[in-house]
Amino acid sequence: MAEALQKKLQSELEKYKQMQKDVSKSMSVRQKLEAQLTENNIVKEELDLMESSNTVYKLIGPVLVKQDLEEAKATVAKRLEYINGEIQRYEALLKEMEKKSDQHREVLSSLQQEYQKATGRAVAKV
Amino acid sequence: MHTTRGTTMADKSKRNIDPQVRVDRLREEHEQVVKGCDEQILHWKKVSGDYEALDDRLRTLPDHLSYDVMVPFGPLAFMPGKLVHTNEVTVLLGDNWFAKCSAKQAQKIVDHRVKYVKGELDDLLKTRKNFEARVGFTEDLEELSNKGSYVDIREEVRSKETVVTKGKQRVAHKLNSKPKLDTVLDLEEVEEEGKGVEADEEYCKILSEKELWARLDQLEKLEELQDEEDRLSDTGDTNGDDTTSSSSSEEEKEADCSQPEKEPGPKTSWATSGPANGQLVSQAAPGGDTTKDEDEQEEEEEEEEDCLPTIYFSHTVEPKKVRICTGKNTTLKFSERKEHSLTHSKRKKKINGTNGHSHHELHKITSPVDIYRLFVDVKNGEPVPRKSILKSRSRENSVCSDTSESSAADFDERRLVCRSVSHDDAPHSDTSDGHTEDDSPTALPRTPSRFEAFSGTVVEKDPTPTAVPHLTIAPPALPTILERKQEEGTTDAAPPVEPPKRVSKFKAGRQNR
Repeated sequence: MAEALQKKLQSELEKYKQMQKDVSKSMSVRQKLEAQLTENNIVKEELDLMESSNTVYKLIGPVLVKQDLEEAKATVAKRLEYINGEIQRYEALLKEMEKKSDQHREVLSSLQQEYQKATGRAVAKV
Repeated sequence: MHTTRGTTMADKSKRNIDPQVRVDRLREEHEQVVKGCDEQILHWKKVSGDYEALDDRLRTLPDHLSYDVMVPFGPLAFMPGKLVHTNEVTVLLGDNWFAKCSAKQAQKIVDHRVKYVKGELDDLLKTRKNFEARVGFTEDLEELSNKGSYVDIREEVRSKETVVTKGKQRVAHKLNSKPKLDTVLDLEEVEEEGKGVEADEEYCKILSEKELWARLDQLEKLEELQDEEDRLSDTGDTNGDDTTSSSSSEEEKEADCSQPEKEPGPKTSWATSGPANGQLVSQAAPGGDTTKDEDEQEEEEEEEEDCLPTIYFSHTVEPKKVRICTGKNTTLKFSERKEHSLTHSKRKKKINGTNGHSHHELHKITSPVDIYRLFVDVKNGEPVPRKSILKSRSRENSVCSDTSESSAADFDERRLVCRSVSHDDAPHSDTSDGHTEDDSPTALPRTPSRFEAFSGTVVEKDPTPTAVPHLTIAPPALPTILERKQEEGTTDAAPPVEPPKRVSKFKAGRQNR
């Protein structure tokens, strides 16, 4: 009985660890997105300050490609929106994952208690 | 981050929560944050330095048309070359976007970025300072729990009977108030987290001050109601209730004093509203009734408890001074103020009982409260509490019980008086013996609310020639007041009932005639 419980415990633990990893991964992705967000904001500001006299380039691979200022502004704005959307999506995902992990944690703790009881009984028997 | 949290939570539930360990952990966490801040600060400082160098370079670059430089040729070689187009700079805007600018424009961009960096640096410095402060607090916490240089003051919270309240029990209108009290009450158990709770206390203090003000207004209304009730019911009762005081400042003070008494957590209320109480009182009247501050007394007994010396204190009721209305004059008397007494008879009993009791204990000083008992004037065989010298005299002789009826009249009277007074400066100074408040004409407008028609002191003076012409000016303004005030039924062309001295003078003059 105790061994079965132990196995169960182990499997639950593994699942829980996996969940935690997923959560942390989403967290890091979200952080990266946030960094990109700030960066794009800065670019947007700079482009706004820029006059049309000077050319804007975009680095695509090893090539600097000339871009139109207006085009560049539009592109950056679109990218900003996209990043915002991604952030929201990831936030929702993160919340769900947290909930799941909490549930898992509870299950885990209850299993642990059972296991302790079982082991305690076993010890008492012995 | 989540994994560690999960496991440590399980661990914590298993082992006993050791306060010392918690404090240590708290400190560790704080220090971690401080370290992190430090690292970031270093990083930003480096960035700022780089930008400064860049700024310099941009400034000097357009000085020459071309520069002779050693151009890096792969990772290992350099080649002599020339730097041309010194004014054209390609700037990285971020996210793989570039812009070709002149050196000056590039400089502008650099300035922009430097500002941003500075902002970040300032924020980090602030957070660092905050967390350093927190670290300091946690260290104090440790000291508090270990060394015992701090003294824990505890008070036994007895049953609700001893909780002195005036009127109804306080209902928490604000949802925040109760929980905060609870957190502060828990100070007894969790000594180590005192500092953390102190932060709450600080906040609670602020909250309770606001509450106090709101409560003050409430209590003032209550008192007014009670005043009317009492006046209606105890017309002949010399041992008047505590609520016979009519001045607004006194009401405030009473409200202040009752406020801390009402709160169920006396210790905390003493801590939180004590200073607030003191502040409020000092604002209300500088020369105020100091005894009312000392409703809560300390009986210091030091007890060793574990490692912390504790002081236990409890509230003792202070002999309350009441104004007793005896006709037109009022005198001060000691009375025991028992809250929660529902019937007047009950109060009377207690007062009568305790008055005699207090007489015996006069010469035995055990607590600061007894000092006030000692400093008494014995009038008619009874101890009368000495009035504070800072209080104005006219209060003594005010007709308290009549204020509600005649307050309107008084107010008119005073207004008129003030007007007439403004014309007549000289006589005031003549007749202002023994009246501290009437030394200057400006004093009068200040105290209209506490004016009484007859001060009780009759100044026997011959009506001076200068006074007479003033008399002719004054009367038209004041006859009506006299009708109401003087029950003897004086004539219409009565002497003006102005500032007491004036009345007395003219009345005296008339009487003399």
